[in-house]
Amino acid sequence: MSAVLQNLVNQPYKHGFVTEIESDVAPKGLNEDTIRMISAKKNEPEWLLEFRLKAYQQWLTMEEPQWPNVKYPKIDFQAISYYSAPKPRKKLGSMDEVDPELLRTFEKLGVPMHERAALAGVAVDVIFDSVSVATTYKQKLAEVGIIFGSISEAVHTHPDLVKQYLGTVVPVGDNYYATLNSAVFTDGSFCFIPKGVKCPMDLSTYFRINTEASGQFERTLIIAEEGASVSYLEGCTAPRFDTNQLHAAVVELVALDNADIKYSTVQNWYAGDENGIGGIFNFVTKRGLAKGINSRISWTQVETGSAITWKYPSCVLQGDNSVGEFYSVAVTNNHQQADTGTKMIHIGKNTRSTIVSKGISAGHSNNSYRGLVRIAPTAAGARNYSQCDSMLIGDQCSASTFPYIQVRNNSAIVEHEASTSKIGEDQLFYFAQRGIGNEEAVSMIINGFCKDVFQQLPMEFAVEATKLLGFKLEGSVG
Amino acid sequence: MSMSVATTSGYLENLLQGRSQLPASPLAWFNRLRADAVERVGMLRVPTTRDEEWRFTDISLLTTLQFQPVHTTSHLQAAEVEHFYLEPATIRLVFIDGVYAPQLSTQVPGVAGDSDIVITNLSAAVSAHATTLEPHLGRHAEFRNNVFTAINTAFLHDGALIIVPRNVAVDVPVHLLFIATQKEVASYPRCLLIAESGSAVTVIEDYVALQQGVYVTNAVAEIALADNARVNHIRVQRDSGQAFHIADCAVSLAQASRYQSTSIALGARISRYNLNVQLAGEGAECTVDGLALIAERQLADTHTCIDHIKPHGTSRQLHKCIVDGAAHAVFNGKIMVRPGAQLTDSAQSSRNLLLSGRAHIDTKPQLEIFADDVKCAHGATVGQLDSEEVFYLKSRGLSEMTARNLLTYAFGAEIIERIPVASLKHQLEQTVLEQTQRN
Repeated sequence: MSAVLQNLVNQPYKHGFVTEIESDVAPKGLNEDTIRMISAKKNEPEWLLEFRLKAYQQWLTMEEPQWPNVKYPKIDFQAISYYSAPKPRKKLGSMDEVDPELLRTFEKLGVPMHERAALAGVAVDVIFDSVSVATTYKQKLAEVGIIFGSISEAVHTHPDLVKQYLGTVVPVGDNYYATLNSAVFTDGSFCFIPKGVKCPMDLSTYFRINTEASGQFERTLIIAEEGASVSYLEGCTAPRFDTNQLHAAVVELVALDNADIKYSTVQNWYAGDENGIGGIFNFVTKRGLAKGINSRISWTQVETGSAITWKYPSCVLQGDNSVGEFYSVAVTNNHQQADTGTKMIHIGKNTRSTIVSKGISAGHSNNSYRGLVRIAPTAAGARNYSQCDSMLIGDQCSASTFPYIQVRNNSAIVEHEASTSKIGEDQLFYFAQRGIGNEEAVSMIINGFCKDVFQQLPMEFAVEATKLLGFKLEGSVG
Repeated sequence: MSMSVATTSGYLENLLQGRSQLPASPLAWFNRLRADAVERVGMLRVPTTRDEEWRFTDISLLTTLQFQPVHTTSHLQAAEVEHFYLEPATIRLVFIDGVYAPQLSTQVPGVAGDSDIVITNLSAAVSAHATTLEPHLGRHAEFRNNVFTAINTAFLHDGALIIVPRNVAVDVPVHLLFIATQKEVASYPRCLLIAESGSAVTVIEDYVALQQGVYVTNAVAEIALADNARVNHIRVQRDSGQAFHIADCAVSLAQASRYQSTSIALGARISRYNLNVQLAGEGAECTVDGLALIAERQLADTHTCIDHIKPHGTSRQLHKCIVDGAAHAVFNGKIMVRPGAQLTDSAQSSRNLLLSGRAHIDTKPQLEIFADDVKCAHGATVGQLDSEEVFYLKSRGLSEMTARNLLTYAFGAEIIERIPVASLKHQLEQTVLEQTQRN
């Protein structure tokens, strides 16, 4: 049985290649001058430079968190280059003008931009390393008043909006990596959905880390005004490198009264080879503030890549009757480590949250769910339901669950359930009886295990996620 | 909230001063064990809420109390304490403020006969049973990283000792009664239970107070089960409402042994109970149940760790908290399945009832699994009484208050009913009933 499993698990990373584009890379190291340089390169206003410097000063006084259930060599923050941008040839007027090498990269990744944009009606804000290169459908979105583009652009075009919301959900001093991000973030997406507007299409961004040894520090800010709604997709792959790359992104979501934000992620960055050499360190802070009444924030993630994942997409349910959701599938294989989960902070009355987390660990990997459900004294009638299931494939991996439940209001109801299982011989036998081979059977069982989460994904992502899991675990069970 | 290391180390030094009155033991390893513990205390500090294990339990108040232990034997007579006695527990060891009280304790029937059961105070038996004790005493209750266990071990002198020989079943429950009579003292109760292969015993570890007052109890219990042994361990903590109760219990299970634990926390201003169960032999089984029933400004913290080291282990855990007033209950239940502990079957449930708007709960059921062929599940719920259940009882003519009391009582009774000693069960049921009716 284990031979087929082994094969499944040991599929090499399919997206490992380096695109040769001239990059404008800053020298390694971090100090105030680096930050001033980044700010100057991006021609930023004074207030943003101050924001960065304040974060940097705070970062110097902070210590790297030790509590996650992951092990890695100490990161030398001075050995990282904090800025890398593809050298602009000239201002781009249309997609045709985009560097053909770059376009080919996306095609190799299976994201033919025109096709995908046209067929699926998706507007893609492409982030290549750190600078937004091309944005499609901008015009169409602009007609309904939606602002969607890179954050560095928004800093110039809509400084008031950026200034009003930046750092309000994830404060400058929130945690070590978020603070570092606040100091050195280079680019990311900005999205503003005005009052009453339902975004006519799914918004999408495509992250990719390219230049070797350059950390990527994205900053994403999404604001949905009263009654607005948006579905945002984020997909990630990264090329193959042997030095660990640090990725410390910050994502902030703000939902005002009756607004609805759905944020979906498929993450498949380079996870290191079968001996655990290389791979991305993914230390991300994602948080949504359900600020208004009846607002809703929903996170869906499929985490299959990265050597280390440290990520807790959270919801602060401040508005009365607001809703928070978290649906997650985390797959680890070989020597991958994942410590991921969510935080649901109930503040408003009658706030509701749902957590569905599915962890699959194979090989020598280590997969942890860490979650917090906090019911504040003000959250009368709050309700939470959490479900965390783990599946272990092979006897060298581990699965852990650390759910923190803190209840300060007696009218709240909180329920948490967790289970651990494996793919049983009897299940495989049942499939075999019906003429279904092991490989297919495993894939079906795993898809069934993750069904609750996949159902939450937008269609094209659901297809991609199913495939991704298939080849991630190819040969692990048999 | 956060204390500097300097002030807490001063506190620890002062605590250890009381050791000077302890007599040296004739056994070298015994003295060495104490010396190791003293040395360890010097390297540790009092935990604060910045330490993960103490995150929800603020014991800074405790560090303002520098109580010393009592060394003189009490002259308390049976009439003053017999209301604490249990029927049919005819074997009883009584400790007054941590000091053994021979006049209140009962002799073990047949101790001189052929059964060789040892149920006595530790200091009386330590020389005679040195070879049996050495591999167990201070070996199960880890004090490397636990400052309170280290302090208790530094004060190691007397305690309760139970040795049940091979294939012997003790047919009456053993009652270990720890009575607090004085204010502003510290006591360091110690229990050691060695259940040899195929033996069986029921032990009740009972902490009571003769009067209200501030005092500190720092208790350590070690329980070793050899192959096929069975131990039923009932622990009742009914200390004074102003007292501090910190306790550590370490249990080690050999092949096919079975350990059943029911711990009830009713008293103390702040209580903390660490229970570590190691399933160190194949096919070991344990049931770990608990109930915390607290009100006013009480804090009850239970940390359990069930460690599956060998294959085919089974564990079951049900922990309940009923929290009223401005009380605060903490539960941290860790289930560990080590590499190779295949076919482990483990289920854990943390159920919590909040009776008042100011009460609060921090619960964390935790799973750490390193083997694939296992069945592990846990669940946690927090809530108030189900309004439909209340309505159902009201529709049968019960008043709102009676209905609520009945449901609250039933919630707690599920744990108490598991106690196999009828008299204790009855006492505790009364206590729960009184507490629920007080509202």
